[in-house]
Amino acid sequence: MKLKDKAIKQWKSNHTWQPLLIAVSVILIIAISHKVYWETTTETDPLSIWNKRLITEQNNETRIYYNNENLVDKTITFKGVLEIFPYTNESIGSPEESNGKFDEIDGLVYSEESYNKCMINLNGIRILVNGSLDGKFYENEIVTVEATLIERDFSYEKNSVDMALKSQIWEAEIDDIKLADEKDYYFFGIETIVFALGLYFSLKRISNLKEQIKFAKHIALFEFKRGLKTPRMIVLGLIFFVFIVGIGMLLGQLQNDSDSILGTMTTKGSIIQLSYFTFMIGSMVAIGVSVDTFHKERQENTMDLLLARPINRETIVLGKALGLTMVVGIPAFIAQLIGLYFMVTRGEMPPIGSMFAFLFFGQVMIFTMVTFQLCLAISARSGSSVVIYGLSAWLLFALVWALIVIAISTVIGVDINGEEFENDPDYQTFASRIGLLNPGVIYQMVVGLFTNRTIAVDLEGVPGWLALLSVVLWPIMCLRMATWLFKREMEG
Amino acid sequence: MTASLLELNEVKKDYHIRRYGRVIRTSNALNKLTFNVEKGQIFGFLGPNGAGKTTTIKCITGILNCDNGTIYIDGKNIENNGFENKNKIGFLPEKVGLYGSLTAQETLKFYGGFYSLSDSIIEERGGELLDLLGLSHSLVKTVREYSLGMRKRLALATALLHEPEILILDEPTSGLDPRGVKALRTLLLDLNKKGLTIIFSSHILSEVQELCTDVGIINNGKMIRQGSISSIMKTVEKTAIKLSLRVNDFNEKNEKILNKNKYISILENKDLGKHRKIILKLKEDLIPWVTKKLVENGTKIFSIEPHNTTLEDVFLTETESENEA
Repeated sequence: MKLKDKAIKQWKSNHTWQPLLIAVSVILIIAISHKVYWETTTETDPLSIWNKRLITEQNNETRIYYNNENLVDKTITFKGVLEIFPYTNESIGSPEESNGKFDEIDGLVYSEESYNKCMINLNGIRILVNGSLDGKFYENEIVTVEATLIERDFSYEKNSVDMALKSQIWEAEIDDIKLADEKDYYFFGIETIVFALGLYFSLKRISNLKEQIKFAKHIALFEFKRGLKTPRMIVLGLIFFVFIVGIGMLLGQLQNDSDSILGTMTTKGSIIQLSYFTFMIGSMVAIGVSVDTFHKERQENTMDLLLARPINRETIVLGKALGLTMVVGIPAFIAQLIGLYFMVTRGEMPPIGSMFAFLFFGQVMIFTMVTFQLCLAISARSGSSVVIYGLSAWLLFALVWALIVIAISTVIGVDINGEEFENDPDYQTFASRIGLLNPGVIYQMVVGLFTNRTIAVDLEGVPGWLALLSVVLWPIMCLRMATWLFKREMEG
Repeated sequence: MTASLLELNEVKKDYHIRRYGRVIRTSNALNKLTFNVEKGQIFGFLGPNGAGKTTTIKCITGILNCDNGTIYIDGKNIENNGFENKNKIGFLPEKVGLYGSLTAQETLKFYGGFYSLSDSIIEERGGELLDLLGLSHSLVKTVREYSLGMRKRLALATALLHEPEILILDEPTSGLDPRGVKALRTLLLDLNKKGLTIIFSSHILSEVQELCTDVGIINNGKMIRQGSISSIMKTVEKTAIKLSLRVNDFNEKNEKILNKNKYISILENKDLGKHRKIILKLKEDLIPWVTKKLVENGTKIFSIEPHNTTLEDVFLTETESENEA
């Protein structure tokens, strides 16, 4: 009963945000329905079927078949991440060398016919596609494939003995492969509409919303003008500018310089690297500028005069966050543009979408880091605590994150002793998933995502839509947390 | 609905001490505080340190939200009409915090931006206020270069910029020089004549007595006495008055007789050379009894006069009796 009363009280105290909370609950239900839809209409675990594949060899006959189930001639719609193995001369060798060769994994004997087909790996299962996927689908895209299990006969030579091969192969036509984004966009569309409605009705409940927006703008402009004049912003801004422009030039140069000791860069890799460096220095500037905002105000008693004005506490936090974001974001945007210009002119032009994501989500990332630091600044009890918290956050997110990921990987049993453990799918999946807790990693993911034509892309274990959702949720959560902490601290 | 401009009903407020986000201690600041202020009053808000004056002011101005109870301004609950009510209030905190890098005009422009005032009105009205408060000669200086008194005056200008109906001042004279105090007093009286209701807390009781029409005495988060200054004094005088006597031959025996009566207490017994000065606290109807007893026991009385009750006496009497209770 006590818990029920508490819940009712808490619900009533969130009167303004009730529609948004309802919307978020509805979105959660839609997300579950989304998952259920894929689970019920497609086979989302192709590997479980692949694991039932058996290979036997008896009386000069090799048999490849699926155990326990009569799947032959049955059509199943698989959903997974695409990995393409084009059957070209280069990949399997010249016809003279490869013709008549038996491949156990692919389950067939190569012939000239193979050159017109391609084999895909969809989350572990091999599917033979009748035709070339070149220019139609790309690596890491999440697709559905309507494949049929066909039994085929081949013959090949093993140790000078003629062998027969009876193989069950999953086969599909090019038209049977579809990007999963069509349905995903449908669900996301509904979710976006529900979110927009919740937000709209919540905002409608804010009394004097128009005035509060005006006040937020007033505070933001005030903070912006004040922040730009501070000596620390001038110093940090200059460092940021020189760093990003310099890195942009270097990354452009590396695209054409195959002899560099720093290695060569691909076009896509360059913009993702530039995002990392933008985050590294941008987060430092964002934290540096907002390090003591609320703490200093409390010490200098400037907050009382502000709180006595007809302004909501949410508006104060929002205004300050926007102002500080502008202080860092506007010079950062100029530096990013110039850095990008040098990278493009010295190297090659990355996809337009990734350049847009680099610039736009760069601002989102700065806003996130500013609001994150505001949370720390509001909670801290002393000036030195604020600085230590800010510095720790920057070190964690920008510098030592990779070490922490490796350390946790070891603890949970990922083998990191191999020479190229970073290419281990288990490690990559873990690193990507835990990366959702780091705004910097998310920023890079989103820039990487926008180098693709769709959000139905697998980012080493994280689907594109999840990266996109995270990049939106991070600033919202930080802002909400900062507001909540601010309200609590101001209440004494 | 209420006829008072400001009305507090059983307002309760607790402060929470937190460690790592968890509440480790709670202290009660306001305990069912109830009082009201009528339109046009200059209301003095008195109380010892830690009585809850600043907390009350912060609750009225919306800086803090009260845990329980209601606050009405002009008949409207501040919980539901925060925006409207805050527009009616001008506030000067005890510790004035202004942005050091701004000039006076920039400060007024910043704080004026939170009201429906155009830039030209802020400039015009701000100029008048700065002139009135003696800051017009310091326009090029930044607030960082201002003295404490100048900062207080500038903060007062920001409080008056939007022409509020109630002006709330928390210890407004602290840090001001005598000239500043006098100027502030004159200004407040002028503003009150123009219809502005003023509420202020102060430790300088003489100032409150001189300026206020009404007072409220708060102790331990509760209002223990509220009313016009004259009515409060009368009430106190009814309970006990002070009598100042100039006597000769006032000996131990006389002292014992007076001390035996539980309604009489000797506050002062001082040898002035020619005479002895005795100040007694007693019930008014005991005066004949005292004079009779002293004369009977050989004391020569040269003069008897009532010792005028001051607001300080009222304050001390009320807060002491509350603490004893």
